[in-house]
Amino acid sequence: MRASFVFSEVMTGLRRNVTMTVAMILTTSISLFLLGVGLLVVRMIDKTQVVYEDRVQVDVFLTNDISANDKNCQTDPCSKLRTDLENDPAVESVTYENRDAAYKRFKEIFAAQPELVKLARPDALPASFSVKLYEPDRSDVIIQTFSGRVGVDAVTDQRKYLDSLFQMFNGVRDLTFVIALIQAIAALLLISNTVQVSAFTRRTEVGIMRLVGATRWYTQLPFLLEAVVAGIIGAVLGVGLLVLVKMWFFDRLLGGLFQSGVIRPIEGIDILVTAPWLLLTAVGISAVTGYLTLRLYVRT
Amino acid sequence: MIRLEHVSKVYKTSTRPALEDVSVEIDKGEFVFLIGASGSGKSTFLRLLLREEVPTKGRVYVANFDVVRMARRRVPRLRQSIGCVFQDFRLLTNKTVAENVAFALEVIGKPRNTIRKVVPEVLELVGLEGKAARMPHELSGGEQQRVAIARAFVNRPLMLLADEPTGNLDPDTSQDIMLLLERINRTGTTVLMATHDHSIVDSMRRRVVELSLGQVVRDDSRGVYGVGR
Repeated sequence: MRASFVFSEVMTGLRRNVTMTVAMILTTSISLFLLGVGLLVVRMIDKTQVVYEDRVQVDVFLTNDISANDKNCQTDPCSKLRTDLENDPAVESVTYENRDAAYKRFKEIFAAQPELVKLARPDALPASFSVKLYEPDRSDVIIQTFSGRVGVDAVTDQRKYLDSLFQMFNGVRDLTFVIALIQAIAALLLISNTVQVSAFTRRTEVGIMRLVGATRWYTQLPFLLEAVVAGIIGAVLGVGLLVLVKMWFFDRLLGGLFQSGVIRPIEGIDILVTAPWLLLTAVGISAVTGYLTLRLYVRT
Repeated sequence: MIRLEHVSKVYKTSTRPALEDVSVEIDKGEFVFLIGASGSGKSTFLRLLLREEVPTKGRVYVANFDVVRMARRRVPRLRQSIGCVFQDFRLLTNKTVAENVAFALEVIGKPRNTIRKVVPEVLELVGLEGKAARMPHELSGGEQQRVAIARAFVNRPLMLLADEPTGNLDPDTSQDIMLLLERINRTGTTVLMATHDHSIVDSMRRRVVELSLGQVVRDDSRGVYGVGR
């Protein structure tokens, strides 16, 4: 097999068919870009979830009566609640936060919005137990056991709040995957069509090649490589688009969320890890599509 | 060299067989004319030898290949041992004369040194020395057919199949092409030529196989075109 011969055939083919080639490259790159966004969101969700797995806890808010009168949780029912919580096998640790501490923390969290702090009075904030569980997904048990007990105002699982955040991320991820899939179908058809057109424009060459006894590889590899080369260019463009979108969209729009630590940022390394998969997908899909097209439509 | 045993070929789109119970044997080094009206089965005959088609019935042997039963991946080997020339030359218009000839070797993976050496040799053999850098459209019909013959012969095939190679040429040019084919035949290459050209067949006095409606109706060792009608 003479590499230089095959290579020059590939280049001739791509140039001769330049409009189709450009369309094929653009569609492929957009499809792979969307797939990349989806994969990045998946990574972001995974990393963020890991962070919250450690932090997520159940809050047991206490009634106004306890909040006002039992600063150090020394009398029943507060002390009884604490020992019951501590003795529960699902519970890892329990921290008591009285009204003053809650107010202090409130001020810290909303330091940027002084008017909100001014509005809030310490006696509006309840004392609470922050309960950390061995297994965060067993929170239901705690909620059932302690809801409605004397001195308990409400039991909330922080997970519930996070779930809606993750649901949004999952929605974004699914959306990008769906659009990526539709784009991929378009890319697939374009690749197939380009290979057919390419084979048709070079039917004289191919006819002569077959006649003089060129093997299947020699006659078909150029077409196959055309598809693969276009796929690779598409993948490179897609990754480039991903980098731009990271800089201009993720970093700018979600920058605040990243800094506050609410969600984990998408970093350069994430793109670096995702890129080879996109490239591999591009090569795989274009090669398989090209091969099947040649098998089905082009006589050998 | 070539042997057909009771070969029949029926195309799916037709009820009448293109070839019917054809048995022909051609030895190494022979020069054979395949004649007959359009639709008599000449093209099918040639296509069977190249395994462009597979017969409906019968066996086909070319060189050492059992053409009907051979594996698909060995077909290129068969075709490398057969040179082909056509009425319409089938040159690549965007390549020079030398590139057209070299193409046949490039696509079967011959090393570049070999190509550089044998292409000028074969161009000289067909009488095109000095025209290696010309483009096909700059050549006359006869010259273009010489390029096609050079391309068919450059890999030194065991046999040369020519499908009406003089069909597009005037009588004088046709005569030159026939001289060239004779010269190639004298190197030991079997030549099988399908033709309509009476005068050529009559003047050459070579073996003539005549097909009519898919059947062999005549096989003369030193035949002329018109005998028997």
